Amino acid sequence: MSDFSEELVRSKTEDEQEESCMFSGTGMSFPWLQKHIETVATGGKKEKDFAQTTSACLSFIQEALLKHQWQQAAEYMHSYFQILEDSDSYKRQAAPEISLQHALYLLHHGMFEDANRNLSHAETWRYGEKSASQEVLINLIQAYKGLLQYYTWSKNKMELSRLDKEDYAYNTAFQNMLNHSGKMSVNLCTLIQTPGVWDPFVKSYVEMLEFYGDRDEAREVLTNYAYDEKFPSNPNAHIYLYNFLKREKAPREKLISVLKILYQIVPSHKLMLEFHRLLRKSDKEDHRKLALEVLFGVLDFAGCTKNITAWKYLAKYLRQTLMENHLAWVQEEWNSRKNWWPGFHFSFFWAKTNWKEDKALACEKALVAGILLGKGCRYFRYISKQDDQVIKKKIKRIKKSVKKYSIANPGL
Amino acid sequence: MPMPFRARGLPPGHGHRASCSPLSPLLPGPLQPPPAKGLYYRRARQVGALDASPAADLKKEILVNVGGRRYVLPWSTLDDFPLSRLSKLRLCRNHEEISQLCDDYDEDNQEFFFDRSPSAFGMIVSFLAAGRLALLRGTCVLSFREELAYWGIEEAHLEKCCLRELLRKLEELAELRQQETLHLRQEARRPSGDPSRWGVFMHWLRETVENPHSGLPGKVFACLSILFVATTAVSLCVSTMPDLRAEEDKNGVPRLATGLLWEPETPGPLPLLPPGPDPWDPGVTAQDLLFRGGFSFRRKPQAVLDVTEQLSRFLWDHGDIAFAPLGKLMLENFKLEGAGSRSKKKTVVSVKRLLQDLGGHQPWGCPWAFLSFRQRRFSILGGPVLGKSVASLLGELLHEELAMRWEQLLLDDAFTGGALAWVPGKTPQVGQLVYPAGGALDKLYFQEVNLTPDGDPQALGDPGHIQLRGPVRQVVTCTVQGESLLAVRSDYHCALWKVSKQGHPAPLQVLQVGKGASGISLSPHLPGELAVCSRSGAVCLWTPQDGLQQVYKDPETLVFWDPSPWRWADFTAHPRVLTVGDRTGVKMIDTKGPPGCGLLLFRGGAEASCQKGERVLLTQYLGKCGPEPLLPTVHLICTQFSLYLVDERLPLVPMLKWDHGLPSAPLWAQLQPPPRPGHPQPLLLGGQGGHLQLLHLAGEGASVPRLAGPPQSLPSSSDSLSAFPLLEPRSQWRLQERLKAPTIGLAATIPSSASEPVLSLFQLSAAGDVFYQRLRLQAEPRHHSRAPTASWTPQATACCSRWLKTLLEVPPTPPVWAAPTFSNRCLLTQVEPSKVEQKVPEGLRAAMAEGRLLQQRDLGSLPSVEPPPAPEPGPENELSARLEAAWEGQVAAWWEKQQGRSSGPRKPPKRHKRRTQLSNTFSSLSGRLDLSDATSPPHSPDRTSSEARPQPLVTPPSQELTQELWAQGVPSERQQTLRDYMAKLPVQGDAPGEVSSSLSQTATPSWQQTLQGGATQLPPRRNPPRGAALPSSQTSSFQATPSRQQTPVLSGSQRHRKKPRMGF
Repeated sequence: MSDFSEELVRSKTEDEQEESCMFSGTGMSFPWLQKHIETVATGGKKEKDFAQTTSACLSFIQEALLKHQWQQAAEYMHSYFQILEDSDSYKRQAAPEISLQHALYLLHHGMFEDANRNLSHAETWRYGEKSASQEVLINLIQAYKGLLQYYTWSKNKMELSRLDKEDYAYNTAFQNMLNHSGKMSVNLCTLIQTPGVWDPFVKSYVEMLEFYGDRDEAREVLTNYAYDEKFPSNPNAHIYLYNFLKREKAPREKLISVLKILYQIVPSHKLMLEFHRLLRKSDKEDHRKLALEVLFGVLDFAGCTKNITAWKYLAKYLRQTLMENHLAWVQEEWNSRKNWWPGFHFSFFWAKTNWKEDKALACEKALVAGILLGKGCRYFRYISKQDDQVIKKKIKRIKKSVKKYSIANPGL
Repeated sequence: MPMPFRARGLPPGHGHRASCSPLSPLLPGPLQPPPAKGLYYRRARQVGALDASPAADLKKEILVNVGGRRYVLPWSTLDDFPLSRLSKLRLCRNHEEISQLCDDYDEDNQEFFFDRSPSAFGMIVSFLAAGRLALLRGTCVLSFREELAYWGIEEAHLEKCCLRELLRKLEELAELRQQETLHLRQEARRPSGDPSRWGVFMHWLRETVENPHSGLPGKVFACLSILFVATTAVSLCVSTMPDLRAEEDKNGVPRLATGLLWEPETPGPLPLLPPGPDPWDPGVTAQDLLFRGGFSFRRKPQAVLDVTEQLSRFLWDHGDIAFAPLGKLMLENFKLEGAGSRSKKKTVVSVKRLLQDLGGHQPWGCPWAFLSFRQRRFSILGGPVLGKSVASLLGELLHEELAMRWEQLLLDDAFTGGALAWVPGKTPQVGQLVYPAGGALDKLYFQEVNLTPDGDPQALGDPGHIQLRGPVRQVVTCTVQGESLLAVRSDYHCALWKVSKQGHPAPLQVLQVGKGASGISLSPHLPGELAVCSRSGAVCLWTPQDGLQQVYKDPETLVFWDPSPWRWADFTAHPRVLTVGDRTGVKMIDTKGPPGCGLLLFRGGAEASCQKGERVLLTQYLGKCGPEPLLPTVHLICTQFSLYLVDERLPLVPMLKWDHGLPSAPLWAQLQPPPRPGHPQPLLLGGQGGHLQLLHLAGEGASVPRLAGPPQSLPSSSDSLSAFPLLEPRSQWRLQERLKAPTIGLAATIPSSASEPVLSLFQLSAAGDVFYQRLRLQAEPRHHSRAPTASWTPQATACCSRWLKTLLEVPPTPPVWAAPTFSNRCLLTQVEPSKVEQKVPEGLRAAMAEGRLLQQRDLGSLPSVEPPPAPEPGPENELSARLEAAWEGQVAAWWEKQQGRSSGPRKPPKRHKRRTQLSNTFSSLSGRLDLSDATSPPHSPDRTSSEARPQPLVTPPSQELTQELWAQGVPSERQQTLRDYMAKLPVQGDAPGEVSSSLSQTATPSWQQTLQGGATQLPPRRNPPRGAALPSSQTSSFQATPSRQQTPVLSGSQRHRKKPRMGF
């Protein structure tokens, strides 16, 4: 049997790598290349050796799965598993990955204990030289174990909250929890040090640290997760840090500096409105300017065009800014947008649609359009011409504001 | 066994004898009672690998090496299995046949090598020896069956008990697995405890696992491999069984929606429109391009371009192009220099005779083609000269072309994005299909289609069309703020139309792309905005307000070096940020920001755990679909192996990776809006080979996309072969080819209707056919595990029959000439000689009776054939003029004219023969020399008479010519000839001031030609130019420079030019 499997591996590696690179010259590999060569080699006849039959078997499985023919797929699978049963070195090295995937499946279906057992097996699996990729995988397996421990821990925590402090059971439960948390921190720590996106692990680790009052450690973990250069840029890291600092009641300056980075990464995030509020309240001039920039930034994005809060903030803040005689700020923002915002936000189509769908939104937008584009703008004209009893007063107020603050023709 | 040996097939050197005689079946072996012990050993035995030459009598026995294990089998053993592969070896007569049967053959040891499983062969050997075919423990059924087929042994030989055992084992295992899962499930139910708390935790954990953004690391998603899909699916197949499902539902754990299925209404797509009038030719295949044959190829097949074969085919098919100009330059006789030892008689070849011998055209592969001794001598003598120039020039070009074709065959990225689009109309049921058709795909058709909720889509009326100037590669449509826009990409042009509500296109803009456009996309945010990327690496944004502006330019690839010039651009959630993709990665660029900066969105490499050689084939922004996209920040990236979903807020780490396993390049993707609110969105992925896959994408707003159900593969057009009536083989083959034509476009739509949603899917094939299929959403979980199989309705088969009838009315492309395989003798006797015998049929009969080729002399005077059209005239110089004249077959007249001009009234010298030396040709090619007749007097009227006889050369002294210049690169043995030739040239002139450069710097010489040719039009061919018809030749000079870049054209040089045949 081992002969078979080695054949399988050899043919796979040789055929795919050497050939594809050899003649195409581009270094690109083509999964369908083998088929072309086969038709040439056999002149259309089907002639398969062992390695090809196994790969054919695999493709049968795949096909059956994709056509939702489960029964047939299972039959093929049995044939295929027989080949894998006493597999060679190549397959054995892949065993932890398979275990991990199986464990994930079990988790998905709520079978925690099985998953835990599976992960323990995978963790202790050793075969051959430990490669770098395998190391990450082992870390991941440990981290998932840690996650499961977190699950038990937080179940304990919940029980604990129901128990009386004087109760005898309280102590044992507490001990139990400590036990789990110790194991958990060991399991999670190594993974969190490795660069990557580890949101759930970091989140649960920080929750545990916070529970035991280890705020410094928690802050360090989060700061490291957010600011370490080696980690991929991850908006969630900054969100976690911001939420942590907010819970800690950190000074506003600190919060602003965290959100500034988030603003650089995801200017369309919903925290940006909170950021705007923070900046608006700030005394610093440049923060106030940034507050305007943030609002414009949010509304640049296609997903945020109907965000009524953002439009409300913008209308209000534009008025405020112009009242404070910071026309230059507005113009700076507007200049880069004036050739596409009219078509993007203030087109006739949107005027009609917005009015039909959401009158409040239409009013806010009309005010902004009036300020930025002047009275002649189609959006403003359409909304102001509407004859609606309920918001008649509002429209009148808008018209007044536009007349007063419009930047379109400052001379008039 | 005492049997007579008889030499069979193999050549004597091989010494293989077989014990098979005509008598052998009559002399049954087992009649002789052999000793019980060692009987089977005699019938087959294994020998050690170290035995270099095993003690085997190779005349009686065969030595085979299967996967490293060597066996010696007497030939007699194989007598009982005449159909087996080993027995067939005996019948082999030569190496070629042996190599058909085995992987290698060692002549020294007379050992046959087979690259097969040794253990399986062990079982087969024991069967051959002992007659019992039993399975060893731990053998895979499937592979063993294959092995049996390979060795040519029937399955029926398998022992009954073994067969039964196997079947039983299979069933047992299936049962066992079922029970196991059942057990696991029951265990899992136990710790459920308090349902509310359970629910809270379950919810949280499920969120973490399912939601990579707030939850599962991208790395794990990146680990999703086929194995995972397989493992999951096996469990899924169990979980769909009715009894288990009931329990699971009680469990309260929401599952992956296994019942989620878009069920095809027919087993395959159906043709929507009648086939076009143009026949379709599949073009080159791998068989045409790749080298095949040879031992090494069979052992390890590789793709090697077969340039030799193609070159020889080219020389046969287009010999006129390859040889004619050069050959005609040589005129009637020529001497082949450099063969000093040979006598004159042997080196001077008469072309006239040679042409007689050829007697016209001898097609490729003709069994009666023959070579005369003259031809043979010519090919031997002229080989080094002709072969070199042809092979070096043509071979290189041909190799380049073949390499390009091969790359195109592997991946044709011209149609990335797809050339089929659905433009919605006034009502959701009616819309327009926009697609290119016609043989060259240069007509853009607008076909109105009505999608009835229950019936098949109907084409309404005849399609309107727009004729374009190039093949359409991509058709994109987008509806922004109520405006439908249509963009079309051709190779070098892009065009934009606005489609009115009535469906009439109004052109907005045409853009020209110098280096060739590789992709276009329409902005989903602002009406009329268009991103175009060119093969030079530039990305341009066209907006109605600002026009065209280049927003990005980088000829290099993003992540690592890759030779492909393919580029792609698309939009993002921010209307002023674009993605730019190439084969190595995808980058986001801000069009407002400074040039060159940007953020990598996807990198082909470790972050996405890409395979070696994995390249990006398609990137697409998924926020396009619908006015309010559910996934506003997600981009789809397809490689030849996998599909990635990347969120632009979290670049470089894919949210989802899935091995699509498509056997062809995935170049089309279509995300459709959810059929019902809250339902997963169908994402269609189409491969070039017509393969289609459907994924169910769930996740909206801030949450991340995930697969909501098991992916589906949809039927492709080759699956609908069964709907067509049976045909005779030739038409059947034609139909198959047509259905197998590569797909070049994909469009889909879900018309919103009150009843259950139906997905209409259209596919455009390279043959210009539009196929459709309808998929019905099966949202209810099914209780049976087998997918229901759709069957053909009578309407469908009727539709196919109609289509087929139209298809077969189109005349097929004429087949390529092939060598005849019939005998002409019966034809000869059958045909009665008619009374009125003409010369042609007579000659034909005579040739047939003799069994030789029909030659021109048999037919007498035939109407002369048109020579192939002359190539477009290049820059003007003497060489090209001369080559052109040679092409037209009038080099003699040209030469005379040339001489007449240069020599004027001078006396012709006596040396007549030297004029037509082959070396003349080469000296004029290799040396840099100036021919000038500036000093020559105006030509005299006696030139008209001189053209009748060969115009002799004059021999003025040409000492001004520096030898260094022309002697470079001329072989030493030819230099004497060259010198002689030079001696005959007229005195060098300076050609002062006559160069009219205004006419010479021409990108389109053919145009120049007509402008001038109007006045100096020559008489038609075969009328040699008269002196009277040549105006202004006196006033001009003539200069010939072999360097092509700066070739001054003189007005006078037009006079001997023929009317150009190409380029008008």
